[in-house]
Amino acid sequence: MQRSPNDLSQLQATMRAIEVACSSIQMMVNRAEAEATILSLCQSPQPYQACQYILENSQMPNARFQAATAIRDAAIRDYCLCYVMQRASSPEGYVQAKVSAAAAQLMKRGWLEFSAAEKETFLSEVKQATLGIHGADVQFIGIKLMESLVSEFSLSTSTAMGLPAEFHDQCQKSMELEYLKTFYCWARDAASSVTNKILDSDSPVPETKVCTAALRLMLQILNWDFRYSKNGLESAKGKKNVFSAQVGNDNNLSRRSECTIVQPGPVWHDVLISSGHIGWLLSFYGALRQKFSCEGFWLDCPLAVSARKLIVQFCSLKGNIFHSDIGQMQENHLLQLLSGIMQWINPPDEVSKAIESGKSESEMLDGCRALLSIATVTTPVVFDQLLKSISPFGTLTLLSALMCEVLKVLMVRNAEEETWSWVARDLLLDTWTALLVSIESGGETGLLPAVGRNAASNVFSLIVESELKAASASAFSDDMASDYFQASASAMDERLSSYALIGRASIDITIPLLTNLFNERVARLHQGRGITDPTVTLEELYSMLLIIGHVLADEGEGETPLVPKAIQTQHVASGESEKHPVVVLSSSILNFAKQSLDSEMRASIFSPRLMEAITWFLARWSSTYLMPSEETGESNSGSCYDNNHMVQSSVSSKAFLIFGEHNQGKSVLDLVVHIATTTLVSYPGEKDLQALTCYHLLHALVRRRNVCVHLVGLDSWRRLANAFANERLLFTLYSAHQRSLAQTLVVSASGIKNPEASNQYVRDLMCHMTNYLMELSSKNDLKIVAHQPDVILLVSCLLERLRGAARATEPRMQKAIYEMGSTVMNSILIFLEVYKHEFAVVYLLLKFVVDWVDGQIIYLEAQETAGVVNFCMRLLQLYSSHNIGKISLSISSSLLSEAKTEKYKDLRALLQLLANLCSKDLVDFSSDSPETPGTNISQVVYFGLCIVIPLISLDLLKYPKLCHDFFSLLSHLLEVYPEMVAQLNDEAFSHVLGTLDFGLHHQDMEVVDMCLRALKALASYHYKETTVGKVGLGTRAAGSKDQNGQMSEGIFGRFLRTLLHLVLFEDYSTDLVSAAADALLPLILCEQSLYQRLGNELIERQVNPAFKSRLANALQCLTSSNQLSFTLDRMNYQRFRKNLINFLVEVRGFLRTIKILVLFPVLFVCKSVLQTSRIQDPGRILFEKIYPKQVK
Amino acid sequence: MSDEEHHFDSKADAGASKTYPQQAGTIRKNGYIVIKNRPCKVVEVSTSKTGKHGHAKCHFVGIDIFNGKKLEDIVPSSHNCDAPHVNRTDYQLIDISEDGFVSLLTENGNTKDDLKLPTDENLLSQIKDGFAEGKDLVVTVMSAMGEEQICALKDI
Repeated sequence: MQRSPNDLSQLQATMRAIEVACSSIQMMVNRAEAEATILSLCQSPQPYQACQYILENSQMPNARFQAATAIRDAAIRDYCLCYVMQRASSPEGYVQAKVSAAAAQLMKRGWLEFSAAEKETFLSEVKQATLGIHGADVQFIGIKLMESLVSEFSLSTSTAMGLPAEFHDQCQKSMELEYLKTFYCWARDAASSVTNKILDSDSPVPETKVCTAALRLMLQILNWDFRYSKNGLESAKGKKNVFSAQVGNDNNLSRRSECTIVQPGPVWHDVLISSGHIGWLLSFYGALRQKFSCEGFWLDCPLAVSARKLIVQFCSLKGNIFHSDIGQMQENHLLQLLSGIMQWINPPDEVSKAIESGKSESEMLDGCRALLSIATVTTPVVFDQLLKSISPFGTLTLLSALMCEVLKVLMVRNAEEETWSWVARDLLLDTWTALLVSIESGGETGLLPAVGRNAASNVFSLIVESELKAASASAFSDDMASDYFQASASAMDERLSSYALIGRASIDITIPLLTNLFNERVARLHQGRGITDPTVTLEELYSMLLIIGHVLADEGEGETPLVPKAIQTQHVASGESEKHPVVVLSSSILNFAKQSLDSEMRASIFSPRLMEAITWFLARWSSTYLMPSEETGESNSGSCYDNNHMVQSSVSSKAFLIFGEHNQGKSVLDLVVHIATTTLVSYPGEKDLQALTCYHLLHALVRRRNVCVHLVGLDSWRRLANAFANERLLFTLYSAHQRSLAQTLVVSASGIKNPEASNQYVRDLMCHMTNYLMELSSKNDLKIVAHQPDVILLVSCLLERLRGAARATEPRMQKAIYEMGSTVMNSILIFLEVYKHEFAVVYLLLKFVVDWVDGQIIYLEAQETAGVVNFCMRLLQLYSSHNIGKISLSISSSLLSEAKTEKYKDLRALLQLLANLCSKDLVDFSSDSPETPGTNISQVVYFGLCIVIPLISLDLLKYPKLCHDFFSLLSHLLEVYPEMVAQLNDEAFSHVLGTLDFGLHHQDMEVVDMCLRALKALASYHYKETTVGKVGLGTRAAGSKDQNGQMSEGIFGRFLRTLLHLVLFEDYSTDLVSAAADALLPLILCEQSLYQRLGNELIERQVNPAFKSRLANALQCLTSSNQLSFTLDRMNYQRFRKNLINFLVEVRGFLRTIKILVLFPVLFVCKSVLQTSRIQDPGRILFEKIYPKQVK
Repeated sequence: MSDEEHHFDSKADAGASKTYPQQAGTIRKNGYIVIKNRPCKVVEVSTSKTGKHGHAKCHFVGIDIFNGKKLEDIVPSSHNCDAPHVNRTDYQLIDISEDGFVSLLTENGNTKDDLKLPTDENLLSQIKDGFAEGKDLVVTVMSAMGEEQICALKDI
């Protein structure tokens, strides 16, 4: 900018005045006058030019400081506050929003430094504005400004501003404790000051905007994540902040996220509860409703929407804002709200009719949201009672009626998503869930009141009806997404578990209903067999099985699920266990499923999809009801419930014992196994169905030992095992399923009491397969036969099966599985040779060995270990000889990338194999005494690693999993066996070091960390050894002369350089500093003279004398402060960590910026600019200003 | 398994059959399949159903192992597909002739001179460069359904 000489002299004069004032303040002379001078600068209307001039030209730091302060104050005052206030009526709302956001940010930046008086001045201007003295437009702006402030001060919506988290925390605390309530009151006053004007006028007035904004601000404040004012009793965990204040835009709020519990604490009691504020709000909205017929007001106008949002928000008020009077106050509060909300949702049929004929649904949906909020903060009994005092029916009845109405609408207009009835159904389902979950988990609240059970059963029957209708309507649709059982089940899972809760609320009604509906459909199938298309009925049955499965049993998620509490505790009229509704329903389904064993029935009725549902149901049902372990059943009924329930629950659990071990359990188990076998044998190619059988049903059966005991005794199970071992048929299963099946069958052997017998069982199961592999591998014409596709398929299947069996290793069957593997060891090597070009087979071979070694290694005796280890090494060598230096050629890029992926998978398997071998040194269950001379595992693994390393290219290390596996193995080896490094040959040694060096510069923090750990181990080993006079790593560490007579550095010298460079100049996460310190200390101790030299170099390089001395001091402190000594014990490591952190804090700032200047020549321009401006420490400022952008 | 059920005919002409039937449901990703009479490597398998209560069918995406073209097929998963007999043999590379043929040394000491070099510039240069450097190269020749091609190269 060009300045006239006149201006310039004026600016110089101002600068001098300020400088004089500053120095006089410092010297304590003429203080008042000096302060006045400075204040005049701050308050002058356009201080920018003067301040800029001072900043650029003054030599006096104090003067520059004052200038900077003045700029900030002026910016807030002029650019933001005044700007928005003066242009309040301008139509560009987004400009104003941006400016008020900027003002809020500026305020926050200075918040902790402003004095209370300064904040007061600013806020009083805001208050004036919100009171409406300057008119509605300014009032609106004032409220908007508060909105920006609140959102800027809330953690979840604040701007980062490059400030530490602590700063944000302090601002949030200050806002919450000192201003939030005040803001709320201002907003409330602003709203109530304009209500009359709005209600009196027949068309929208400017005040409408003000009122809407005020209501939004109140909502936003109630959404605040209250932390400090609720007495710190509960943390704010699990609460969701929604500060977005996008009130009008609520259609796509997702389920279960809508209900935030508001707990502002007792200090808010006067404002929110006792002031009659809610009454005002309700009556205001009530009055507003009357005006909806008028022009300019409608159900979805912003004002109405905001008011409703606020009312809904009030419904979720909770915590000690209510006095502890047994909830009376909260009940009154909720009742008051509910009576206001009733007009939105009651009577349900009229409401829904109105919506169907064109009325907006938003009020009704908000009513549902309010119910959800109330349900979340109350118990079912209180929830039901609320309405009873003002109406003839309880809230549960209303809820049920509302839900039925919604379901009816849903049934009429079928399955269109995103209609209002979908949203309403989900909201109401969530409400039910909120009510019923407390019963299911809390226990002591007991059951729903009788009327509630009735209501629930009404709703449930409609739910089932609507689901059936939806099922039959979709029976012929070819919707791809729902084709997969898994996908559709998990998508529906959430909804189904809500249904289940409702269904379980009154099992004496709902379960017989389900039984009837189920039997009806089954009967219909039988009648129509061969005459009519069964598809619709099949789809209905499919859907019913899903619902019933959810109602009867919970998902175990890896644990054994118990009979759901609601089912266990409910009193059921029927005395005999055979007539217990759950037993009746289970039996009907089992009977139906049994019919699938008949081939004719199967062909006409049991479609693959229906079988999927049956298999899924059986898996879920069996985990809970089939042969429950009796002890748990009794302890449950005895201890968990009070006396009143005990009698009933024992009746129920006794009823379920009908499927126990001493009752029908065995025959049901037999049936289940039969059905499972059928799905495997009689549904060729149905991969999804068979996956369910293998991974769900059979796994569920063998998971419990007491079931296995019976399983191995069953003929059906034996037949399945026999078919698996000896018949061709099961080879047509997908090979991964065969693996799972092998695993399941082997695991079931744990049910045999005698260990020798269980080993024999496994031998019988697997011996044909191992024999076959051996036979094939010894064939003379193997080379020719092996590549026939059918032989490849067979070999793959057998390997998968062996792998499955290997994965089932348990101590009891360990011996048989060891024999299984050891007999095929030789064949495996032969196959590896023959199939060297057949990736799929090679991978299976490797994976089998990996799993087998993993299961076996810890049990093996010395001799067995030697054999296995030897085998593994031969495997590695063979693999390496086939693959090293091999280049795949293909015209197709996707085939080439497949080849790369294949390589990656192989190498990962090899690394896993080595890691498994390593575990022998950590865990060993063999009977050998530790003194027995055994295989030196460390030697073997190093040897293996040296074979593998050349196969791993830098390209392959781009696969994160492989990279991770590789470095964790490497660092493990170096940490546990550092002495082995000395024995490596040169090539292997340089490979290891090269990879370490590569790893140190890796982006993945964990990889760097692992490398640092490895370095630490190496260096500390060497140091400790040499201090006691041993050689340590010997020549490796000392460095050597190469052919030209050049002295090359030893490894520790090299790594010392690298690490120092890394620590001082490069980017890394601060989490790595401790690990780096741990590695650096032993390195320094190993190479003390080099360290001195490097330190001196570093100091010499500094041009700035100030930095020079700082650096020298810091280096001195690094190695001497905190009583650091020359030992490598825990204490010393800790001290050095502290020292390094301090050191880095001190020097990294200036060291690094200098490097940045070198790195980015462009920045020299900036540098020269800054240097002429004579601001100190250009490096740091540059770093702060420019470096973050570079990083981004 | 009993011999009866798993008997292999180790006929001398075992390699003669070009394809074998295999149930569609058992074909995995990375396996081989014949689509439109071309040998392909399977790069993608997905299953779907013919109508909700119908039977499963497999959708294969394969890449022609010789010309790299993408081919797709849908087969009921209980039906059989053709799986090609893909053979790979290693030969030592003796010479590259000017007219674009290679001379290969077989295991029993004979030479095989009927294999043409690939036309693709990139592949061609990879083979030629290695050979020109005087390395001992082993080439892997892939053959299936009457076609042959060099598919890999290894330095010994």
